[in-house]
Order: sequence, then structure tokens, then C-alpha cells
Amino acid sequence: MSYFIGYTLIYILMTWSIYLPYRVKDLHFLNVAIMAVTAYFSAVAAVNWGWPFYLVLITAIFIGIIISFVISKVIGDVPTFTVVIVGITFIFIVKTIIENSDYLGGTMGFFAIPFLDHPLIIMGGITLFFAYILYMLNHSQIGKAASVIFSDKKMAHSLGINVKNIGRLFQTISSAMAGSAGVLYAYFTGSLFPDFFSFHLVGTLMTILFIGGYTTMWGVIPAAILLGGVPVFLPSAVSSWKILIYGVLLVAVILINPEGIITKKMLWKLKNKFIS
Amino acid sequence: MDVFIAQIINGLSQGSIYVLLVTAFNLMLLVARIIQFAYPQFVVLAMYASWLVLEKSGNVILAALAAIAVSVLLNLLSEPIFRRINNIEKIDINASFVASMGLSMIIVEIMSHSINNGFPVSFPDYWTGENIIDFNYINIGRGELAALLGGIILVALFFYLLYHTHYGRVFRAIAEDRKTAKKVGLPILKSNLLSYLIAGILGGIIAILFSMFLGSASPWLGETVALKVLAVSITAGLGNLTGGLYVGLGLGILESLAIGYFSGSWSDVIAFLLMLVVVLSKPQGLFGAALE
Repeated sequence: MSYFIGYTLIYILMTWSIYLPYRVKDLHFLNVAIMAVTAYFSAVAAVNWGWPFYLVLITAIFIGIIISFVISKVIGDVPTFTVVIVGITFIFIVKTIIENSDYLGGTMGFFAIPFLDHPLIIMGGITLFFAYILYMLNHSQIGKAASVIFSDKKMAHSLGINVKNIGRLFQTISSAMAGSAGVLYAYFTGSLFPDFFSFHLVGTLMTILFIGGYTTMWGVIPAAILLGGVPVFLPSAVSSWKILIYGVLLVAVILINPEGIITKKMLWKLKNKFIS
Repeated sequence: MDVFIAQIINGLSQGSIYVLLVTAFNLMLLVARIIQFAYPQFVVLAMYASWLVLEKSGNVILAALAAIAVSVLLNLLSEPIFRRINNIEKIDINASFVASMGLSMIIVEIMSHSINNGFPVSFPDYWTGENIIDFNYINIGRGELAALLGGIILVALFFYLLYHTHYGRVFRAIAEDRKTAKKVGLPILKSNLLSYLIAGILGGIIAILFSMFLGSASPWLGETVALKVLAVSITAGLGNLTGGLYVGLGLGILESLAIGYFSGSWSDVIAFLLMLVVVLSKPQGLFGAALE
């Protein structure tokens, strides 16, 4: 059970890191590369340098933010699919460097990362912290501006919204999430393999985001529980087909309710019902 | 020098495959308004179909027909899915990208579970063929030659269809301005279906050429190819058919040279890095995007 909860929390954090830039229609797969960088950084810092967890965590978040800030500064305001290519390129670069580095364990993997004493409490706390930041951001003027950018970028420009800066801010915050997710993943699993940080992970995160619903931050939670639960709660004969199940669900949701299971409209109606 | 010439020839063959894939990808983008990320997966599944027929019967003609039939079937079956997505109000091109990612996941899972126990498949020698030219480091196999010649002939045919036939004009008109094309009574649905059919036939032939060229296939082959096709299309300019020709060929040559002079695993990084530099300096692509 703790395995399931731990993985679910990591997937929630990582999917939020894709959700936030998508608020301004950027599909930033760069965060998967950042997760890989911080996961391997924390492994090296903990095993080879003997750094304590919180120092590793803070440094990793800082590394994620710097990488993201520099890249988003270089790429500027570019079309969605250009951002996709940026992310894919960095995933390839990071994965290839890891695979070719003996110091990082190469394709064989990096082992013996120390486990945390109370991992789920720490992971839950970090997830709650980022949930709070996301909530505050979504209910601020910046969140409203992001909604305008999502609906109509040209209109946002005309209204004087600084599209570039909001995109950069969202990407920077999301990279902090990805950075933390990388550290938590390393300490939670105790071993790292470069194959995990590939396009498969992008596919899983996209599935969670689009099935849960991309118009609100809350859809990610039930979707991560539901999809993460497939390999845990279903019999192995069924769960071995989990990617097929994800694919079918993803196509079905896009066809039936393209905004996902939990939508902003649905939450608004629920809120009104409770108030009345 | 021999290595250089050998890699250039190899790169041109590989590039021809990319060109065909990008052409079909761009056709669906322009006419059906979809980002068909699963298209290379359809091609790989068609490669598997031909392998299965070769295993059972050893008949190359049946195997080739199986590849084309499977590719056409998959493309036509996906048409209603994408049509429905495009008909939903307020839906942009990202939705077709996400849906095709879903389709892609389904196909990879089917291939990795149901065919050859998930192991990569090898095509027999009578399918891939012996070396035609064998001079020092320069070895040109039948697969390489078939990919190169097949690529040239198919692209020439496609451009003839596009610029010298009635349906080609309709395709270009729809690509230019879909709303006006509909208003003047051009058959949008029929053209959509035709674009899927053409992409399906092309996909089947690509599967034949690709399997002859590579001599093997694996469930994960389509994923890397899909990323490259998307990258080529963006680097050339989304939907730019002529641009796709140059960038597809360029990618093939670049990859081949990278494999010849560096460790194999770095070839993808070098190719993507170069395409990244291009899209960052020209966000609308080298040749300009046909679509925003």
C-alpha cells in the first residue's frame, strides 16, 4: 500500500508540473528531463557525498529552477509544438548522458540510495505544499490571465497580458515540482534506471492529466489514484495490459469529454450546490 | 572517405523513409487537420503484419499486400475518431495529438504482448536481400536501394497527384482555407477519407521499404520514429510538404554520419539538438509553417 501511495504522490507532483505550463498551452516535457537530473543528482549527493536529505532537496529544486529558467529564457514565446521538441530533445540528451556515464551507473542503474525514515509523511507534506502554491496561483490575477492566454493568446496580448513572463513563471514553478519529484523518486525507490525517464513517462503523465482533466488542478488526483491503482488492485492478467488500458481510457475521454473527468464547470456546479 | 560515402548513401536511404513518413503526416495535418502521432506506429504494425505472413507462408507478395492492407485498415479505422475530435467545439489540434498518443500506446502494448512474445522480429534474408554493391566500406544492400528508389518514386507520384490532378487541387484548397473550401462546395469529408486512404497506402509501402532497410522491427521502433517525424515536420514548418522533403533527407544523412563517426547512442541527441537549434532560431520552421 505504501508503495502505491508513494508512487501516486510522485505522479501527482509530476503531472502538476505538466499541468501548470499547460495553463498557458505549453506542453513542457522538459520537466521529465529535470526529474531525471535531480533524481540522479540526489542519488550521487546522498551516496557519494553523504549529503543529508533536506540539503539535497533544496539544492535539487534550485537546480531544476535554474535549468528551466535558462531554457525558458532562451526559447521565449514559441508555438506549442516547438516547446514539445525542446522537451523531447532534453529527455534524449539527459538519458543518453546517463546511459553513457559509468559514474551514474549507465544502463545498469544506480543503487543503494538510502531510504527515508517516514517517506510518505515527507512526500505528502511536499505535495501539499505545491498544492497550496498551485491553488493560490490559480485564484490570483496571474491565474485569470493564464486562462485568457489558454483561450486566446492573441486576445491576451491585446489585453496587455505579459504572455512570455507568465509562461516563464509557470515553467519555473513547475520545474521546482519536477525537481522535488526527482528527489522523492530517488529516495523512495532506492535505485534509478535511465529507462524510467523516457517518453513512456511522458505518456503516463499526459494520460493522467487528460483523463483527470486539464482545466483544474484537482482532476490529476483521482486520475493518478485510478491509473496508479491499475497495476496494484487489478489481477496481474489484467494489469499487465495497463498501458493498453491507459491508451483506451485516454482516447475514450478525449472522445466523450475532451476536458477530462473533472472540469472547472463541474467543480463550479458542485460548489454552488453546497452553498445553496 | 569510403566511410563518408557509405554513410551518405545509407543516410539518403534512411532519409527517404523519413521523407515518406513526413509527407503522409503532413498530408493528414493539412487536409484532416490532425497531428497523427500514431502514424509511425501504424507503419510498424504493418511491418509486423508482413513479418507474420512471411513466417506463416514465406510468400513475399502476400506479405507486401498484408502490410498495405493493415496500414490502410488502421488509418481508415482511425478516421471516425479524429473526425469526432475535430467536430467537437473549441477543440484545437492538441486534442488530436493527445488522442493519437493514446492510439500509439494501444498499438505498442498489442505488439509488445501479442507478437513474438514482445521480442523484436527479424525479417528473413530473402526479404531484405543481399548486398548489391560491395566495395571496401561501401556496402549497398537491396533494402537501402529499395528505400532510396522507392522514396524517390513515391514522392514524385505524390507531388504529381498534388499538383496535377483534380483531387490534388482540392487538397490544396482545403489546406489553404478549409472554411471557404466548404462554402464553395468542395467535398471535405470525401477528401478527408481520401487523405487517410493515401496515407494508409503510403504507410503500407513505407512498412515494406522500412523492413527491407532495417531487417528488423520492435514494438518501440515506432515511438522514436514518431518523435523524429514530429520534429522534422516542426523543423521544416508544420504542414510544409516541400520543407519536409529537405529536412527529412537532411535528418537521414545527419543521423547516418553521426552513427559513422560517434557512438550510436549519440545520433538521436545530435539530430534532435540540431533540429532544436533550428526551431529556436526559426520558430515557424526553416521553410515556414503552412498552419499556425
